[in-house]
Amino acid sequence: MTVPTLKPRLLAATAVTAALALAVTACSSSAKSTSPGTTSPSASSGSPSSSAPSSGGSVTVGDSTTLSGAIAQLGQTGLDGVKMAIADLNAKGGVLGKTVKLVSADDNITPATGATEVRTMITQDHAIAMFGPVSSAVAAAQEQVTNQYSIPMFFYTSNDMGLMRGGANKYAFQFVPNTTMEPSAVADYFVKQAHGPITIATFAPDYSFGHDTVSGFIAALQRLHVNYRLVAQEFPPLSATNITSYLTAIVDSHPDYVFNAQFGSDLVNFTKQASSFGLFQKTKVIAMYDYNVLAALGSTTPAGSIGFDRAPFWAMPELGNFPQTFKAKYGDYPSEWAIMGYTAVQGWAWAVEKANSFSPSAVASALAGATVPTIRGNLTIQACDHQAEIPEYVGTIAAQPDPRYGVRLWNQPVFSAPFSDINPPCGASS
Amino acid sequence: MHAFVVDLVSTLSTAGYLFIVSAGLTLVFGAMRVINLAHGSFYMYGAFLVTTLVGASSGARFWWAVPACAVAIGAVGAVVELGVMRRLYRSEHLTQLLATFGLLLIFADLALRLWGTGARTVSSPSPFQGRITIAGATFPSYDIAITVVAVLVGVGLWAMLTRTVVGWRIRAVVSDPEALAATGTNTHLLLTVVFALGAGLAGLAGAIVAPQTSIAPGIDQAIIVSAFIVTVIGGLGSIAGTALGAVLIGVAQTLGTRYAPNWASTVIYVVLIAVLAVRPWGLLGAAER
Repeated sequence: MTVPTLKPRLLAATAVTAALALAVTACSSSAKSTSPGTTSPSASSGSPSSSAPSSGGSVTVGDSTTLSGAIAQLGQTGLDGVKMAIADLNAKGGVLGKTVKLVSADDNITPATGATEVRTMITQDHAIAMFGPVSSAVAAAQEQVTNQYSIPMFFYTSNDMGLMRGGANKYAFQFVPNTTMEPSAVADYFVKQAHGPITIATFAPDYSFGHDTVSGFIAALQRLHVNYRLVAQEFPPLSATNITSYLTAIVDSHPDYVFNAQFGSDLVNFTKQASSFGLFQKTKVIAMYDYNVLAALGSTTPAGSIGFDRAPFWAMPELGNFPQTFKAKYGDYPSEWAIMGYTAVQGWAWAVEKANSFSPSAVASALAGATVPTIRGNLTIQACDHQAEIPEYVGTIAAQPDPRYGVRLWNQPVFSAPFSDINPPCGASS
Repeated sequence: MHAFVVDLVSTLSTAGYLFIVSAGLTLVFGAMRVINLAHGSFYMYGAFLVTTLVGASSGARFWWAVPACAVAIGAVGAVVELGVMRRLYRSEHLTQLLATFGLLLIFADLALRLWGTGARTVSSPSPFQGRITIAGATFPSYDIAITVVAVLVGVGLWAMLTRTVVGWRIRAVVSDPEALAATGTNTHLLLTVVFALGAGLAGLAGAIVAPQTSIAPGIDQAIIVSAFIVTVIGGLGSIAGTALGAVLIGVAQTLGTRYAPNWASTVIYVVLIAVLAVRPWGLLGAAER
């Protein structure tokens, strides 16, 4: 046998390697399928049509979201919420008498992939409404496509304010607190805890969501006249596994509070490493400590720190038996992404019934300014920017596990920031 | 003094972590001239496997689980070499890259089915659960453990390659495989062993780093970029170069975070470009033939 010797092309090959390695997050793992109603994106022929409902006794909706990589949990549990909502609709006879089918695909956190998948779902599968994704960057790309084809797009995880463009897009709807609402709610809660001059450090993933959320938090502190001093700001890359140097900079600045805009496994990673540095002994961290993160942290959960969550099932009695039903079906309690996904589907189905039509234009018109019955109660969709009037939840992490779930959740009562307090004026998102 | 100690510890911790992960990558390249993108998969499987073996509360079990992970992932590596890599040695580098890239994607999907989409954690094992304070700077004692393991791995690899018959044969298979085969050495078996060793080192890295981080899908992709940068800077195939590259990236990341936090994540790429501009074959790598 022989072993190839190095050739002058090695450098080119290594360059390709680097490109491939960097592109890993942007590649492959193809479309995944679902059921009734779910089906995989089909290869059936058909001309692009933005208004014609699917033929026969069914209609198709789509969800292109992140199902692999570092934020797969957000996408997968959100998709489970969408699936369950559709299954529940079909169990009650469907929508306008038609069975609802779902096509779904993995966008691999890549805007181009997500946009292509949405286009395929619309033109090949005749999807008449779209749901998803996780990343705001992917959402912006997908929104271009749905807008082009005049198809309603329901965001239930990605929450960049820019997605709504001040209400200029007739077909975009946001069923998640946006990047201004969320940090404003946290600041409203925080201002009741922080007394006297305080020092604050910020820690956030180095992309638009992280920067926007930190900016929103700082702006809210200024609006609330908090006497604070910013001692450090770090923006590590999204999904970075080694954050030692960023963390030591934070620890070395000895802040009273750290506002952290990370989420999911990145936040778990931060908390574990920060705990090993002893950060939580003198510092309180404010971050998206939701059920999944707290369950993953287990004994390293930082009691006394402040968590925020877009839909914590354990603090939402209005959900009734939904958490238990969801767990029976998917093996775990619903994440905030699942609850918001379920709610978004309810919003679409209600609008179809209200309009008595699957026409995207009629659905969009019916939903704007309407009050929709959902598992979260009645939700009003603002006519001006299509933002659902939902609250953001904030609380202090408990010292002991909740006996019902075996996870350290938040102390009661949980603060539910009213929409009217945290909502920016209509048009501010443009 | 305080800032210096903080930076020093941060640098050593980062460098140790990067070196452990990158050592197997450069070993495989040094012996086989294959840039194995699936190296990140072996790392991720080592990390996931240790969470399965010890659960969230690692305790003393962690110390036997780590070598068990290295052996198990090494065995997976051997299977991969026998089933896939062996058929690619005559292929162009680009073909090899695409093949290992495909393996990475397959392993990633398989991991989702084996361990799900959620994050997992392992607590630091005794006696490294506390913190150490030096000159007013406090840091996790487990950082010391990682640094020590990194040194042991480095010294062990260096000794194996320069002081043992196996090491001599590994180096010989690169320069003249036909001559080595003529001596009666089973070069097929030798390359299987080397690839398994590289995979085992990745598995060891994943397991040993697990208490310091969260284990979730995507860590394979994140780590392969860092490991690749380290090995390219140091010189593909050079263990000493990889150690140097790891330290250099550790310094760049630490100082970048301290003095230019808004550019910290960019600094390592600047270092990569600068090194390649001056020495395209890396700091301690051999020039292309």
